[in-house]
Amino acid sequence: MDQDRVVRAWALITEHAQREGVSASLRHVCTACARAVAATGAGLSITRGSGRHDPVVATDDNSAELAELQFTLGEGPSADAMSGAEPVLAADLSAPASRCRWPMFAPAATRRGVLAMFSFPLALGAVRVGVLDLYRDRAGGLAGEELADALVFADAALLLVLDDRGGITGAYPDLVDGGFDEWRAEVHQAAGMVSVQLGLGVEEALVRLRAYAYARDRRLVEVARDVLGRRLRFDGGGAGNPPAEGNRPNGEEPRR
Amino acid sequence: MNASDRRVREAFVALADRLVTDFDVLDFLELLAKRCVELLEVDAAGLLLADHRGTLKLVAASTEQGRVLELFQLQNREGPCLDCYRVGRAVHAGDLAAATDRWPQFAAAARAAGFGSAHALPMRLRDGLIGGLNLFDSQPGELEQEAIDLGQALADVATIGIMHERTVRDRDLVFGQLQTALNQRVVLDQAKGVLAEHIGTSVDDAHARLRAYARRTGRNLGELASEVVHGSADLAEIGGR
Repeated sequence: MDQDRVVRAWALITEHAQREGVSASLRHVCTACARAVAATGAGLSITRGSGRHDPVVATDDNSAELAELQFTLGEGPSADAMSGAEPVLAADLSAPASRCRWPMFAPAATRRGVLAMFSFPLALGAVRVGVLDLYRDRAGGLAGEELADALVFADAALLLVLDDRGGITGAYPDLVDGGFDEWRAEVHQAAGMVSVQLGLGVEEALVRLRAYAYARDRRLVEVARDVLGRRLRFDGGGAGNPPAEGNRPNGEEPRR
Repeated sequence: MNASDRRVREAFVALADRLVTDFDVLDFLELLAKRCVELLEVDAAGLLLADHRGTLKLVAASTEQGRVLELFQLQNREGPCLDCYRVGRAVHAGDLAAATDRWPQFAAAARAAGFGSAHALPMRLRDGLIGGLNLFDSQPGELEQEAIDLGQALADVATIGIMHERTVRDRDLVFGQLQTALNQRVVLDQAKGVLAEHIGTSVDDAHARLRAYARRTGRNLGELASEVVHGSADLAEIGGR
């Protein structure tokens, strides 16, 4: 199993955060990831409903400008990664294929000295929270190891975005059975059920499930099993079940 | 050609057919898992793909029984499929009662679920491995060589199905398609939850209804699941068989 890769990535992220004496944030994911895969820059865009996604962090000015540019032009690897579920790997932005696909963005990027760009959607099934972008000043694809590392950093960013929305800070995820609970089938199924109970999307449902588990110091998969077994509901209804508390946006402990 | 050969031929024709017409990777892999059970005369089959974390993820199974699904999941810790993925060769446990030293947890759980033997065949792509085909039977016993060969052929078909053969030479495309297959499975799980809650049934039953509706209407299961999660599908119609 390749838990080492996940452990390594989180160690790098927390190392960057600890150096500043703060809890891990998206900025640290970008810095750690850029270093791990030998990128010249990295940035993150976050979805803000209705398909919009805004650049929120970048490791340097050049990356920030390129993210802004894609946002303005509405084209580029990042925009494509947002609309699909697959990473978009542009190994040579000066190549005709890239210029053809992104006629405005590709030349603008190469003018700024960025010759390769790799965009990874922060996706979990139908949940899409943003995109992790990596920039390089030289053409060429990511090596297999770098590709796998980048995906692990994208996972970390996804968890941090969900944490942020659920008002959770400084939670270091537990590795269980070769992965995080967030990637278990029961959790996806429970998120689907809770989304119907709340009349909200699966993303919000997942945020609520995680916040509920976190506030009670329970494993997410156990909470998910309670939902699947209909012992726990999130809409306050249900046969004799205690109404479940949703999370508070500011992250305070739900009152019971 | 005997009856068994005919069934094998028919299965491959049906699978090949799925590959060329409006391809639906989830539906294809589920069909393949079911064919494994019929053709190899085992009681359960599952296809596990390795994700970028090195975790083996179940993408399709011949059954929806929770107890059996747990067995597939358990193999991120130990078991024939994990060993098969590690060494890149088929792993056979003809007698699970004698495998308690090798896999203490897995052997106990598999026996408790009513299985006497388990096998895993590698899903190979060029020099690499993308996952494994896991087989369970209630009776102890080795698989015959013929069954192993046929099982390996089915595992290869699964690999081709996931990779859309013509693109396997491009690593980045292979990588993208693996990501897509893994993510589609997540969408399907989310959709099962949505439908189960909406019509008040179990997730397993919801899965059966989704699949049946997709077949009946000629819809792509992955796309249908996505619509269910995004709220653009008619849940009442999908829910009423």
